[in-house]
Amino acid sequence: MSAGAAVSTRALSKRYRDTLAVDALDLDVRRGEIYGFLGRNGAGKTTTIRMLLGLIRPTGGQVEVLGARVGPGATAPFARVGYLVETATAYPNLTVRENLEIRRRLTKAPRAAVDEAIDLMRLGELAERRERVLSLGNKQRLSLARALLHRPELLVLDEPTNALDPAGIVEVRELLRSLARERGVTVFVSSHILGEIAHLVDRIGILHEGRLIEELDRDQLRAAERLYVRVGVSEPARAAALLSGAGFAHVEEADGQVRVYGAEGRVPEMARALVGAGLDVTELTSVREDLESHFLRLTGGPE
Amino acid sequence: MFAQVLATEFLKLRRSKVTWFSLAALSLGPLAIALMMWIVREPGRAAKLGLLGTKANLSGLTATWPAYFSMLTMLVGIGGMLLLAFVVAYIFGREYTEGTAKNLLALPVGRHWFALAKLVVAAVWWTALVLAVLVESFALGAALRLPDFSARLAVGAVRDALLAAAVAYLLVPMVAWIAMLGRGYLPPLGFALAMLALGDVLSHTGWAPWFPWSIVPLFIGAIGKPATTVAPGSLVVVALTFLAGVAATIAQLRWADNAQ
Repeated sequence: MSAGAAVSTRALSKRYRDTLAVDALDLDVRRGEIYGFLGRNGAGKTTTIRMLLGLIRPTGGQVEVLGARVGPGATAPFARVGYLVETATAYPNLTVRENLEIRRRLTKAPRAAVDEAIDLMRLGELAERRERVLSLGNKQRLSLARALLHRPELLVLDEPTNALDPAGIVEVRELLRSLARERGVTVFVSSHILGEIAHLVDRIGILHEGRLIEELDRDQLRAAERLYVRVGVSEPARAAALLSGAGFAHVEEADGQVRVYGAEGRVPEMARALVGAGLDVTELTSVREDLESHFLRLTGGPE
Repeated sequence: MFAQVLATEFLKLRRSKVTWFSLAALSLGPLAIALMMWIVREPGRAAKLGLLGTKANLSGLTATWPAYFSMLTMLVGIGGMLLLAFVVAYIFGREYTEGTAKNLLALPVGRHWFALAKLVVAAVWWTALVLAVLVESFALGAALRLPDFSARLAVGAVRDALLAAAVAYLLVPMVAWIAMLGRGYLPPLGFALAMLALGDVLSHTGWAPWFPWSIVPLFIGAIGKPATTVAPGSLVVVALTFLAGVAATIAQLRWADNAQ
């Protein structure tokens, strides 16, 4: 286990009958950072989060949260952890304030914590309303307020912007950023939408079929936004072979197009080679591959 | 910490309609018994009102305090077992039906405290219901001016009703465990109904003193001989059922996956 990590897992696995949901996951989340945990639906994100929180037992491996081993019934680290797992849930027959009061008592937070959480998530006008009458977005706010109420050192948030409108998404993003910056809170946030967290996180881990297939820090994230030349041509397969043969190192052909990476300064040369071979060229465009495309490429293309 | 958990469990009951529904359901029992007493005593007036006076007369009932108390004990014992199962199914099952169980499991609070606090809440709720029904029963019996009342009879009736309620309570941790195992309301209710039915079937065999859900009917004299003859072994069976239920509920909370 990595000393000083906020979250550390070693060979963490979870199997449901024939399905290996999480496969030998080694993860280290540093204290004070915002770590984005990215993966498609069904990649194993929520299963991992449940294991971090002790909600389900791993089939193999170990978990440490804030230096304490997480096992069945563990309580040691959770006074310092706030969390939101998948859907926002609360007691529907209780008010917003009463729902928060329950969490306050169970975490031994001071009485003022309820009002602070209400203010932080802008739930003031709804404080005396029952949870069942709240909109989905406000239910999500209530869940976030509950996660933040006891001023945790670590926030584990599973798709926290679900059901929020665009303004709410920006608001939550800013909130997480300020919590990390001003209070030193470590944020572990999962999402299946890279664009949603790419500009928030310090590091990102991409989970695919239960395995951590790539980790990128902020610089690497920028670098992952690669440039390529998109080639529209009459015979893509022949064009790809021709360009590879002509010394273009990284050529991909898919969906009737050819992509040539690392060749931005060689467009005229590319055009001459294609036209000289008798191919009809309809497009030669420099394109910046965004992170979403990078993510999709890593995880096997669009769903 | 237990006090804090207990406080939150009572807070969860606030504004719960189930609290009032259970009181209303159990309160209907003494009203029904009182109505039967009145029909037995006033068959002519009952017949004029279209009530089933004839059937009530044929049942061999007498409109007296002893008969009234006997039926009350059966109400608390048999009806109570089912109603209490409903109450416990709600207290435990709601966490899964409402999706809030996951909010309780990663906290600086031992999970066993939640199980114990919920069982205490059920006990308090059940005691309040039984006491309310006893008060109601005395008021209705007095209003009917039933004959053959004595202080000794009343004390005995209260004791029997409270003992029946206590024995019924000792069976509910198993229902709590099923609520957590099945993650909702329906499995524990199905379990309670199945156990009551099985208890009834076994009550006609020699197994009644050894099957937990036959022991309450046996105890209150609904089957076999009156309560005083219940074997000490039966009480051991009920106590063991209680302990097994509590242990299973705590183990379920502590060890089982919560993939909600």
